[in-house]
Amino acid sequence: MVSKDSCRNEIRAAIRQLSDRCLYSAAKWAGEQLVGIEQDPSNFTPANTRFQRGSSSIRRRFSTNESISTPLPSVGFSQAATPLPEEDEAIDGDFYLLAKSYFDCREYRRASHVLRDQVSKKSVFLRYYALYLAGEKRKEEEMIELEGPLGKSDAINRELVSLERDLSALRRTGAIDSFGLYLYGVVLKEKGNESLARASLVESVNSYPWNWSAWSELQSLCTSIEVLNSLNLSNHWMKEFFLGNAYQELRMHTESLAKYEYLQGIFSFSNYIQAQTAKAQYSLREFDQVEIMFEELLRNDPYRVEDMDLYSNVLYAKEACAALSYLAHKVFLTDKYRPESCCIIGNYYSLKGQHEKAVMYFRRALKLNKKYLSAWTLMGHEYVEMKNTPAAIDAYRRAVDINPCDYRAWYGLGQAYEMMGMPFYALHYFRKSIFFLPNDSRLWIAMAKCYQTEQLYMLEEAIKCYKRAVNCTDTEGIALNQLAKLHQKLGRNEEAAFYFEKDLERMDAEGLEGPNMFEALVFLATHFKTHKKFEEAEVYCTRLLDYSGPEKEKAKSLLRGIRMAQTGFPSMDLEHFPI
Amino acid sequence: MAGLTRTAGAFAVTPHKISVCILLQIYAPSAQMSLPFPFSSVAQHNRLGLYLLSLTKSCDDIFEPKLEELINQLREVGEEMDAWLTDHLTNRFSALASPDDLLNFFNDMRGILGSLDSGVVQDDQIILDPNSNLGMFVRRCILAFNLLSFEGVCHLFSSIEDYCKEAHSSSAQFDASNNNLESLTQYDQMDMENYAMDKATEEIEFQKSASGIVPFHLHTPESLFKATEGLLHTRKETLRTSKKDTEATPVACASSSTLEDTLVDESLFLRTNLQIQGFLMEQADAIETHGSSSSFSSSSIESFLEQLQNLAPELHRVHFLRYLNKLHSDDYFAALDNLLRYFDYSAGTEGFDLVPPSTGCSMYGRYEIALLCLGMMHFRFGHPNLALEVLTEAVRVSQQLSNDTCLAYTLAAMSNLLSEMGIASTTCVLGSSYSPVTSTASSLSVQQRVYILLKESLRRADSLKLRRLVASNHLAMAKFELMHVQRPLLSFGPKASTHHKTCPVSVCKEIRLGAHLISDFSSESSTMTIDGSLSSAWLKDLQKPWGPPVISQDSGSRKSSTFFQFCDHLVSIPGSVAHLIGASYLLRATSWELFGSAPMARMNTLVYATLFGDSSSSSDAELAYLKLIQHLALYKGYKDAFAALKIAEEKFLTVSKSKILLLKLQLLHERALHCGNLQLAQRICNELGGLASTAMGVDMELKVEASLREARTLLAAKQYSQKSGNAVLGLPYALASISFCQSFNLDLLKASATLTLAELWLGLGSDHAKRALDLLHGAFPMILGHGGLELRARAYISEANCYLSDPSFSVSTDSDTVLDSLRQASDELQALEYHELAAEASYLMAMVYDKLGQLDEREEAASLFKMHIIALENPQDVEQNMA
Repeated sequence: MVSKDSCRNEIRAAIRQLSDRCLYSAAKWAGEQLVGIEQDPSNFTPANTRFQRGSSSIRRRFSTNESISTPLPSVGFSQAATPLPEEDEAIDGDFYLLAKSYFDCREYRRASHVLRDQVSKKSVFLRYYALYLAGEKRKEEEMIELEGPLGKSDAINRELVSLERDLSALRRTGAIDSFGLYLYGVVLKEKGNESLARASLVESVNSYPWNWSAWSELQSLCTSIEVLNSLNLSNHWMKEFFLGNAYQELRMHTESLAKYEYLQGIFSFSNYIQAQTAKAQYSLREFDQVEIMFEELLRNDPYRVEDMDLYSNVLYAKEACAALSYLAHKVFLTDKYRPESCCIIGNYYSLKGQHEKAVMYFRRALKLNKKYLSAWTLMGHEYVEMKNTPAAIDAYRRAVDINPCDYRAWYGLGQAYEMMGMPFYALHYFRKSIFFLPNDSRLWIAMAKCYQTEQLYMLEEAIKCYKRAVNCTDTEGIALNQLAKLHQKLGRNEEAAFYFEKDLERMDAEGLEGPNMFEALVFLATHFKTHKKFEEAEVYCTRLLDYSGPEKEKAKSLLRGIRMAQTGFPSMDLEHFPI
Repeated sequence: MAGLTRTAGAFAVTPHKISVCILLQIYAPSAQMSLPFPFSSVAQHNRLGLYLLSLTKSCDDIFEPKLEELINQLREVGEEMDAWLTDHLTNRFSALASPDDLLNFFNDMRGILGSLDSGVVQDDQIILDPNSNLGMFVRRCILAFNLLSFEGVCHLFSSIEDYCKEAHSSSAQFDASNNNLESLTQYDQMDMENYAMDKATEEIEFQKSASGIVPFHLHTPESLFKATEGLLHTRKETLRTSKKDTEATPVACASSSTLEDTLVDESLFLRTNLQIQGFLMEQADAIETHGSSSSFSSSSIESFLEQLQNLAPELHRVHFLRYLNKLHSDDYFAALDNLLRYFDYSAGTEGFDLVPPSTGCSMYGRYEIALLCLGMMHFRFGHPNLALEVLTEAVRVSQQLSNDTCLAYTLAAMSNLLSEMGIASTTCVLGSSYSPVTSTASSLSVQQRVYILLKESLRRADSLKLRRLVASNHLAMAKFELMHVQRPLLSFGPKASTHHKTCPVSVCKEIRLGAHLISDFSSESSTMTIDGSLSSAWLKDLQKPWGPPVISQDSGSRKSSTFFQFCDHLVSIPGSVAHLIGASYLLRATSWELFGSAPMARMNTLVYATLFGDSSSSSDAELAYLKLIQHLALYKGYKDAFAALKIAEEKFLTVSKSKILLLKLQLLHERALHCGNLQLAQRICNELGGLASTAMGVDMELKVEASLREARTLLAAKQYSQKSGNAVLGLPYALASISFCQSFNLDLLKASATLTLAELWLGLGSDHAKRALDLLHGAFPMILGHGGLELRARAYISEANCYLSDPSFSVSTDSDTVLDSLRQASDELQALEYHELAAEASYLMAMVYDKLGQLDEREEAASLFKMHIIALENPQDVEQNMA
């Protein structure tokens, strides 16, 4: 087990080094984890206590490790594998100081120019990093300038070629440090050389594990579990963070949750871990729990915008209009030009039924981040609501092309085509979505409905789908009812009775009533009566008598028939031969 | 919405266009001279004018020539003043030191235009008419430049720098003075990689110029222009095929990687939508033409398309091309994926020329076309039931959205599908659909359904004026009538009239109607006006007016007909039209084949192979080759046929189930039968049967053929023939077959039946010999004119037999009549390796010689007889030869 103190010391040094190299987001991430570590009670400062104690009652409710103090199972980190980050040169060069201030003012080219003759590793890295960022900035500008008749043209970072050349030369001579390797990996990735990029990033994180940016780049290159397992990573607690994140992206939510649970032993107050846990729970559709987690997160960190789009999705699903509007208002005031903010506002308008406005905000989110997956999907939903199917299809398709595993978008595509009266065509998309999420009953039911349409009328296939849905624990109980009805339609009364009984059991267990129940009772009563199982038939009839309406009359007449049959007029059926 | 591209007839200023402008300035300076400075003669001046005209015409081409290419062309056009022209051009470019110079340049350009209203122009003044082609070009350039934002001007400026830099490396060897300090610093800035590539291009360029410059010094215009054409051609070709041969020699590798770079580079200049669409059409044609032939690598096209997609993510048609490419390389999943992606993005409204953008389609998209394409894809991949299901949905959706065009196409596709599927169980699938068209047909036989679908499709296509569809429907109809002879209803029994509803005239009519397309297609209102090849054709044809109109064999190797070279620069027939016309010729060949005229069939196939072989799809071309080889086998013997087969095998990829493989087996089987090698024949039969899939209802034709051939083998094995039986029993059958042939218009078959009849008569006794001979002579014109080797030989032998058994015929007086026939027969059977009949012929010959007392000849014939008999009894020796 890694001691909290050693973690703390490692992170503290790392933050300094990362900010020295202007790797700000990695430094930010490290900072969040630093305060996420439970403080040593002996050296509490009052400010610390207030910050950390704000919320713990709810946290503890959902934390599976009820007592943080109990020692956690050791995973086998060797203390030796986590050396303290080396200290940088004690005295920074004057040019470095100037360059860093230029960099901080976002004058990247100037910064890199100032460092042109510097040889210290830190300066060399900063020079190339500044050059890279200058190229990126220019690329973004060009993208807008070059917007031609065919949309985005081929804006590329024009520094990539020279960066790759220089960095590979440095690597050959061994004069490259782990930060350089990180940058080299990024450059390689952008040039499309994924395997080399992966190798370079692995080398970087193995020699300097505290750079979260390197880990995230590495994660984005792990598109399958095979790739992930093939990485040769040395043990370090940062690796656990990486694995948690990678598992999540590969839709292995339980594995991911296990990792985060473990990490919470050390970083018990980390907002990051809490948000990640919430994300995983969201994928497992535990909406209530997720809502509480986000509420707490917002109490601790009220100006947080990251991951809040997910919270808004939860609120949307629970139709909590007021909470959603409050959230939208808050993020709008915090930072309205964040894709997440736009997405939240879009969700709000969608819930309000103002789909045009919702689309506008999703568009804005996409303008800010073209690869914002959920915005494409949500926009697709809006277009479906607006009956603009081609636009919806387009939006869904973009989502799918960004991430082919997005089952929601595949499902949306199927739905859109079904709406247009092309059920056979739609089937392919439903199949795709089920491929990525085979355990969701809703998808199976959607596919079954598609088979059931009057155009296709492929009932056998529909029955197969409903059976799968039942196996996936269909919470809404559509599948059982439909299965019974389909069997009834096909004249297989035994099967129909079986499923009606099951459906009845389910409704009883959940305490539900409704037309489905009447239907099941009536069918079962008549079914058992015709099969001369009068006791069962009577049970169902008497249940029907509890309700008013035509069913009651039906039950009465059925009962009369049963009595007659039992009392010696076996062949006479009053129902069918009225005197 | 995001998916629909902005339609911009954008005309962007590019460095190449600036080059043209500079040349225009030379051509028409605002000076008041009848002949401006550098020109020595009016003819020279005019030549530059013509050249500029073709340059402006081709400015819509997707690839713009690079500076060095332009300089090379100038060298040809400018003759002795080329150095001056090149210098001027490069100097003008190097004078552009800042974006401001560009502004001044375009201001100057305004000066060479005459004013729009002033009609008074002095005689000796050269002024560009603003409404002329050149004038319009200048005006468009000026306008496009004025519309540029400041960033746009900056981009133009930096792309001009690249444009010149590229040329420097190659122009260095021609013009050392140009290699000034500036370019040296540019070399400094270039990274090593690029430098190496430049070196490679330099080398290539040097090789090219070495070969190109020699004829240039001869100063004979003919060879000069041939050389240029070659140069241009290789250039174009490498550009066009881009990275087609990436895994070639190192030099080619280097050149292709530079090309890749230039492609990236060039994309800085935006292309208009139409340009790219035209280019993509061209690529689609190429995919179709080359198909799965071995010379064409689909992966290179794929990588090229991928690149294009990166450059223009909103250009959805690229997905369609990827689909086509995958379709032809038989990659089901990738094809499906790309097809769906294309329609998801484009909603079927982008770039589809079969649908004119009519009103009211934008809201719903045109997804029925997606269904149509998907159906055809399933068909191609051999999933007929899926295809039928999808097409049924397509019919329903297009009816729902009243898209008659799509409906017509879908019906045609459906009828095609049904007729190909044949007897497979389709009723269950069709029964479930409830669209009016198909449901009326559900109680009918497959053939009737095909007929109804075709008629429906034809009617709709006719009323919608979809000429291509009309033409292809006519062809399908002709095919249908060929394959299904319709009997009149209510006529059974022997007394029924033998007149059938189908007659050759109607087939012929349908084919003719189909072929009308070639004169018709120009009137079709196509939305795709710019064909990629059309605009680039201008530059290629530049030399035509000066060059001699002689088309030598080797220069025409690409398009091997004079006809097409004319068409090329007159109208440039779209690929689809050429394809259809080609199909009509193939169909003609088939119908002649059935009709019994091998020469006509051969002629039509030859017409097809020479005229349309290049532009058609590979499967059609394969069919044509096949027919020609079959013809060879029938008329020239197996040796020639197998030689031709080898060539065909090299040209087309022989994958399993390919037609070529089938043909090979067929030929081997025939030959084995002829040789009497029944074991081999049986083995080949089994192999043939093995080609067919085991699923029911698939590959029916193949199965039928396999069993038919098996039956023939068995028949041969039992030596069962009419000769062994009673001749009288055979007579009614022969007579019946003659009358059937008459009613079915199968002339050749009738002739062969007549031959059999004659043989039967002869078998009845020598007193019927006269009658047999008369019959034979009646059939002779047909047999000799159209029959194959075997038939002819049989006729000759029968004739000889008739003469010999005729008591009134004396061998000694009229020996030549018999001997000639026998010799002919013997020669032809030799080629066919038909030992049994050949032995009979030699036997008869020996007998005749014996009668005549010519002993040497008799011995010769006898030894020939012996040889054939031995060969017949030991087929294994022959088999070894075959293997």
